[in-house]
Amino acid sequence: MAYSKLGLTKTLTYRGISLVIVLFGVLFLTVIVLGATGVSDRILDSMLMEELRGIRQQLVTQIKDVEQLNKAVEEIKKQLIIAYGLDKPWYERLPSMMLKIITLDLGSAKNIQSFSGSKQISVIIMERLPNTILLVTTAIIINFLIGLFAGTWVATKPGSIIDRLVSLYAAISYAIPTWWLGLINILVFAFFLRLFPYTGMFSAPPPTDPFLRILDLLWHVSLPLLTLIIALSGSWIYITRSLTVTTAQEDFVNVARAKGLPENLVQRRYIVRVVAPSILTNVILGLAGSIGGAILTETVFGWPGMGQLYYEAIVSLDEGLILALTYMFTLVYVIARFVLEVLYVVVDPRVRY
Amino acid sequence: MSIFSEARREFWRSYTSKAGTFFIILLSLISLVVVLTMPLDFGTKYWSNPIYWVDYPKTSPPAWINTFMSEKLVEHQVLYSYTPVQVEDLGGSYMKIYSFTYDFKYNQFPSFLTFRIRGLTFYENPPVIRVHIIRPDNKIISLLTYPVSTEGVSQTAPYVLYKTEPKRFLLSGDPSLFRVLSDFLYKEFHISYSPEKVYSVGVEKIIFGVPKDDNSFEPLNGKYQVNILLYCENENDSLGEVAMVFGGRVYGLMGTDTLGRDLFQGLLFGFPVALLIGLATSILSTILGAVLGIVSGYIGGKTDILIQRIADIVNNIPLLPLLIFFTFIFGGKLWVIVLILVIFGWPSLTIIVRSMVLSLKSSNFVEAAVAVGANSIRIMARHIFPQVAPFILAQLIFYTPQAILSESALSFLGLGDPSIPTWGQILDYAFRNGAVYLGYWWWILPPGLLIILSAITFVLLALGLEPVVNPRLRRRR
Repeated sequence: MAYSKLGLTKTLTYRGISLVIVLFGVLFLTVIVLGATGVSDRILDSMLMEELRGIRQQLVTQIKDVEQLNKAVEEIKKQLIIAYGLDKPWYERLPSMMLKIITLDLGSAKNIQSFSGSKQISVIIMERLPNTILLVTTAIIINFLIGLFAGTWVATKPGSIIDRLVSLYAAISYAIPTWWLGLINILVFAFFLRLFPYTGMFSAPPPTDPFLRILDLLWHVSLPLLTLIIALSGSWIYITRSLTVTTAQEDFVNVARAKGLPENLVQRRYIVRVVAPSILTNVILGLAGSIGGAILTETVFGWPGMGQLYYEAIVSLDEGLILALTYMFTLVYVIARFVLEVLYVVVDPRVRY
Repeated sequence: MSIFSEARREFWRSYTSKAGTFFIILLSLISLVVVLTMPLDFGTKYWSNPIYWVDYPKTSPPAWINTFMSEKLVEHQVLYSYTPVQVEDLGGSYMKIYSFTYDFKYNQFPSFLTFRIRGLTFYENPPVIRVHIIRPDNKIISLLTYPVSTEGVSQTAPYVLYKTEPKRFLLSGDPSLFRVLSDFLYKEFHISYSPEKVYSVGVEKIIFGVPKDDNSFEPLNGKYQVNILLYCENENDSLGEVAMVFGGRVYGLMGTDTLGRDLFQGLLFGFPVALLIGLATSILSTILGAVLGIVSGYIGGKTDILIQRIADIVNNIPLLPLLIFFTFIFGGKLWVIVLILVIFGWPSLTIIVRSMVLSLKSSNFVEAAVAVGANSIRIMARHIFPQVAPFILAQLIFYTPQAILSESALSFLGLGDPSIPTWGQILDYAFRNGAVYLGYWWWILPPGLLIILSAITFVLLALGLEPVVNPRLRRRR
């Protein structure tokens, strides 16, 4: 037992470290690209000018003479250039730039505001992060459950019409762009049938009663969720089905059946138990896809998360914001992945040695 | 030889392969026709040039919806004349008459009315052009009087105007026509409409309609004869082409967007572009992935560790955020997008090929080759590559839809190459113009269906190839 525990920590540490390397790899790559293309200069420049404007406004109240004021501002500007490292070439600034991204210290957005009215990039992103997490995790959990139940159920009828339909559905859903499906869902369910709202997370103004508020949220989240489920569940069901079919042919399952155990017990104890870790592996592998799908789905449905922010940042050509979002999405991915890896170790005793 | 024919038989056995083969032939044929018939600079010259689409109806559904409508919508129609039907000598000057007939049989009015001339040639003083229309009730309306302006004419006779770019008269927004119609209504129907009111009612209703008691207009069906009169001093003066555009409410096979662009043309041009993006990306990333995988597996040692570490990192990156980031920084040129997709597309193949090569490395034929003294490059190219080639081919086909889908996603986010129209860009433009909120289904449905068609073609082919490449699956069937 003690031995296996040691193994557990070791496995998880190894996975954790490799994910941190991924995060830093992405950071390093982005910072190099930003530096070499001169974009980081632009971002730092605009941060500097912004700070300088603030200082100037303060000084105006203290120094009345224009000439003196300009001189003082110029002096501070020189100090700031050194402080921001703009006097040095970009490759010497790499570590400080990375630190700026990690702490989301990237100044303010060009023309996007947070819901509370702030222009600070960190504030804007932190406000939207929960909304994205809410949509993505709900979609992943629902897809996982659909995949697990529908997949194992279909696996009991290999070769049937339903089985073939599932394969077809999986092939088609692989080829359907999630965002286009979102457009179609809006067109059908919001425009023609008028069943669901077009965009947003709450009605305007949102209901004050907490219960109605939750209902309102559910009503708004239905279409984005439905889109993510239709687009992604096909392959999940198919993968679960294939894994289950293979396992169902193993000897130990035959033995269990031969012993006369009831079929649903065989399913639950002997098949699903063995298949679950492999399905979880697929959740892990599909994570990047789910996050990507969510970026576009948020854009289509005006869901006030980080994905929609991406679209707004692209439209307003906001480099700082795009940089921050790329980092945040990688971070979210790395953390989510680590959580799933932990879960995997818990579910599958075999990896613990 | 027998291996190939067996593989072909195996591939041909499934319906998925047959469907996939059918679709890929279809896609290739359409692409070929498009490349041969449409100009390669279609994007910059026509698609993103709003002037080219001025005479098209805006956001009109496709014309075939009339088949399902109880009340037919006005179809878009352009009538042309190239030669005068009649030339009259007025003594010292001439009048040339160009003419065509518009058959109006709808229950609503055309959406707009434009007159245009192309290639006006004159030898002495500039001519005068008049346009009038004779209605089925024999009432005549003078639509336009245009004394040709000589501005910019500096060469010697014969003077040629409007040769490349036609001269357009948007009659629907012409103030002098408002006055003419105001007079017309008073004279013929004893109704007084101010020119401003004519504008707010719409000139089409007055030209093609009869006023009713309740201040509305009823369409007057029948044949309308349009006469274009060219008053000129020289007998040889002529008009190259006169045309009148009767703006429709439906257009063509696929309808139009808010700029009036014919979606059928844009969608057609998307075929070769989608195939190019898909195949270029998948071929390049497959080559990169396969070479790195074979080298990594065969050479081993530090090279192996380095390649596998990098592959591991790139493989674990959430792709879309980085694609967005890099496309944004490097600009949305098509080859940049392809390059970025290649840079992030190789690792999974490298990892798999490496593991296959590892087991091949210790096989007899490789060891025999080493014993004979073949060098590494020769062994990798001649002995190892052929063994993994079928698998690599299957991966190539399987990666193609991903490339097509990634490009369309980037285009949809507004990061596409603006000089080359793609299906993703059409959808981006549709979304930005609120097509989903306004119910412009013809603008959203076809581009997406085409993306799916091109992606699923390769999915079907990959599925069909699977039992060929992976003999374990073959036996099980």
